[in-house]
Amino acid sequence: MKQLCAVNVTVNGVSYQREVEPRLLLSDFLRHELNLTGTHVGCEHGVCGACTILFDGQSVRSCLIFAVQADGHSVTTVEGLAKSVDQLHPLQQAFWEAHGLQCGYCTPGILMTMIPFLEENPNPTEMEIRQALSGNLCRCTGYQHIVDAVKLAAEKMR
Amino acid sequence: MASQNIGQSIPRIDARSKVTGQAPYPGDLAMKGMLHMKVLFAERPHARVKSVDTSQAEAAPGVVAVYTAKDVPVNEYGLQIPDQPVLCGPTLTSPSGRGDGVRADIVRFVGDQIAVVAAQTEVQADAAVKLIRVEYEDLPILSDPVTAMKADAPILHPDRGDSNVCVHYKIRKGDVEDAFAKADVIVESEYHTPVQEHAYLQPEAGLSYIDEDGRVTIASGGQWTHADRAGIAHALGLPEEMVRVVYPAIGGAFGGREDLSVQIVLALATWKLQRPVKIIWSRRESIIGHGKRHPVTLKAKWGATKDGKLIAAENEIIGDGGAYMYTSNKVLGNSAITSTGPYFIPNVKTDVYGVYTNNVPGAAFRGFGAPQALYMAELQVNKLAEKLGMDPVEFRLKNALRDGDTMGVGTPAPNPCSVVEVVEAARDKFGWKKKRRPKAAGRGGAKNGLPPIVRGRGFAAGFKNVGFSFGYQENCWAKVEIHGNGKIEHVVLHHASAEVGQGTHTVMIQMAAQALDVPTNIVELKTSDSATQGNPGSVSASRMTFMAGNAIKGAAEAALAKWEAEERPAIAEFKYLAPRTTHMDEETGFSTPNFAYAYSAQAVEVEVDTETGHVRVLRVVAADDVGKAINPDLVIGQVEGGVVQAHGYAVTENFITKDGRVLTDQFSNYLLPTILDIPEKVETVLVEVPDPNGPWGARGVGELPFLPYAPAVAAAIHDATGVWINEFPFTPERVLRALGKI
Repeated sequence: MKQLCAVNVTVNGVSYQREVEPRLLLSDFLRHELNLTGTHVGCEHGVCGACTILFDGQSVRSCLIFAVQADGHSVTTVEGLAKSVDQLHPLQQAFWEAHGLQCGYCTPGILMTMIPFLEENPNPTEMEIRQALSGNLCRCTGYQHIVDAVKLAAEKMR
Repeated sequence: MASQNIGQSIPRIDARSKVTGQAPYPGDLAMKGMLHMKVLFAERPHARVKSVDTSQAEAAPGVVAVYTAKDVPVNEYGLQIPDQPVLCGPTLTSPSGRGDGVRADIVRFVGDQIAVVAAQTEVQADAAVKLIRVEYEDLPILSDPVTAMKADAPILHPDRGDSNVCVHYKIRKGDVEDAFAKADVIVESEYHTPVQEHAYLQPEAGLSYIDEDGRVTIASGGQWTHADRAGIAHALGLPEEMVRVVYPAIGGAFGGREDLSVQIVLALATWKLQRPVKIIWSRRESIIGHGKRHPVTLKAKWGATKDGKLIAAENEIIGDGGAYMYTSNKVLGNSAITSTGPYFIPNVKTDVYGVYTNNVPGAAFRGFGAPQALYMAELQVNKLAEKLGMDPVEFRLKNALRDGDTMGVGTPAPNPCSVVEVVEAARDKFGWKKKRRPKAAGRGGAKNGLPPIVRGRGFAAGFKNVGFSFGYQENCWAKVEIHGNGKIEHVVLHHASAEVGQGTHTVMIQMAAQALDVPTNIVELKTSDSATQGNPGSVSASRMTFMAGNAIKGAAEAALAKWEAEERPAIAEFKYLAPRTTHMDEETGFSTPNFAYAYSAQAVEVEVDTETGHVRVLRVVAADDVGKAINPDLVIGQVEGGVVQAHGYAVTENFITKDGRVLTDQFSNYLLPTILDIPEKVETVLVEVPDPNGPWGARGVGELPFLPYAPAVAAAIHDATGVWINEFPFTPERVLRALGKI
């Protein structure tokens, strides 16, 4: 018999109670248990940043922690960013307008990395933006349009 | 009044779904009652499979089915030739008795597949795979193509002849021996270009199911719906109409999704079980399981006269094709074409070989054989310019292909040929000034007293055919529906092109709107479904804007004619046929291999730390003749992305194999460029010399910005340090060795 552990977690403002295997990764929990597939898995070991989510408001790689560690905590995924279907978060709007994506697979992780960054630093320099993006891989864009989108988002959010 | 849809940077039509996390990638798909699949990979480079025992796996918890070679109706596949077993196993002939009889009992690379397990959960499937017992007899490993070419080498595909050489192209133009005798300067060098891993961020995945019409349907990433369908149907022994391929959102491709990966085994399980089946490859499985950019060895001897005219080029190019053909024949055909660079050279002798080995197969990857050949050609040009005491830009302009000049294949590139335009554009934007005295002249090698940080600049050019061709009749289908009464209210464009991130769907909507003189917001796209749309061809070879644009124009014109004849709705299909091309002659290469080309040039500035060997690229100016930028921001995105991917190829990505085994099988040891590794400044110059056959003059862009980067960086490192480094990536270790520091 496999031991299951209880997890009580709030995701995007909704509280969930689940019984999970202790080794289930938070990324797999979000994707397969809660069907929140906007959190993408690219490398499974913390290099690419595609699975980044907010954990009590801080950026965290969901492939590097277990679902059970989220017990009692609050998680926000990309699905929780927009206020409503019609009202995107300004960061999402900026990535759309400024061509901040191509294939889009890295995009949710980048958005969830930029949210706390822009909250802490609403008026960042280009170099600060680049440093903040340096833990996220993008294979398509060459990053420049992502930087432009973050700059535009900062303007929109000020 | 003509609408203004072309040349506008409208936002991507798929951006909203991608920023909200709603875009469904293959691994995000799920269906009620679906099973989960895991693959048993061979994990050995060359072996005979003596037996496969699946009994324990079949009895494991949650397992519904285990399939091996004996279960694959026609156990062979391959985009160009079917030389790869779907599953390797002791069964020698396909159960159906059809197919060319690929030896399925031989494992030829680590990523060959032995068995698949379908189970209730992924964890159960994974556990069951580990219970499969395989008995192997290891065979000698051929990991080096030069060894594999030798007469006494073991033959990897005995059913395909008595040699491991699977590709040989020859170009014979003029008389190189005679020309070398007349040359004032000759440069001879040997170059090695590395493997490159596509590393699209979304690993291979897919969901297969039976659709409402009873067809086995595969939702996965790919680059060509109809080619995927043909390969799957062939292996399953089904008519193509019984197989359906649909593409959800695709997380990058770059050529690496041209060949099949998860599709056939998914379809096999769904067809046999009549149930949905899902698979997601891990990153490691992706890295060992799909093809790579060919590593190539290139030997060159080029001659020029003292007035700066190139007169002869002799090249021998050996590409490591790996275990199976994939697209080696096409990739290396491009290497042959581009082996003389975008220059007029009256005397050419080129031999290009592709060789089977036990390495991961060489496959399509952005540039498709051109980056390798151009590394050689562009460095030859830089070295000759240096030897002649000429500025490398001036030397290029003196020898640039111009309208009417014959290429190596003996025929001119189609007009207009814009090498001069892109070279001048890159020169001017960079502010390239001639140096009075070449820096390296008279310098006694590198190690004598270089300061800790040195800077240099480098220049290179490139060109690439748009479309496959080489005698293949390029084609592309589109359908346009016009709805409304008095005026056009709604347009539906049907086109199966794969959106892999490059923006093709957005551009196609712009082209349809322009062709019908309507705004883009009334154009709806139905796409990426082999069952309801005609054959679009592949999103590769920088071809889709050119091909789809012409197909859409044709369909739109035909639909408009019906609209004007009061048909409601007005619906028309069109199949665009590109201008005809010819095969390369077997002995001379004489041919008209392509109907269009696009041209590029780059100037770069680098900084080399002579104490650590670290290379930083400070500035890149990229000039690309795209013919017409339909959506300039998307085109600039292709340029910036292409340059950064080329930066990985040139500097950070060091793919290491040992005896056929992949040592860099994770992102933690195969280093993709992060934002802090890349050139600090990439400046794009869009050159627009229209192609007369291109839609609104468009040529292509996807591969162009990749081409000149590695040789431009090599030239800049030379300018900074005085040494030529003929092999890359320019890792700190390689640079320090070249500088004589270690």
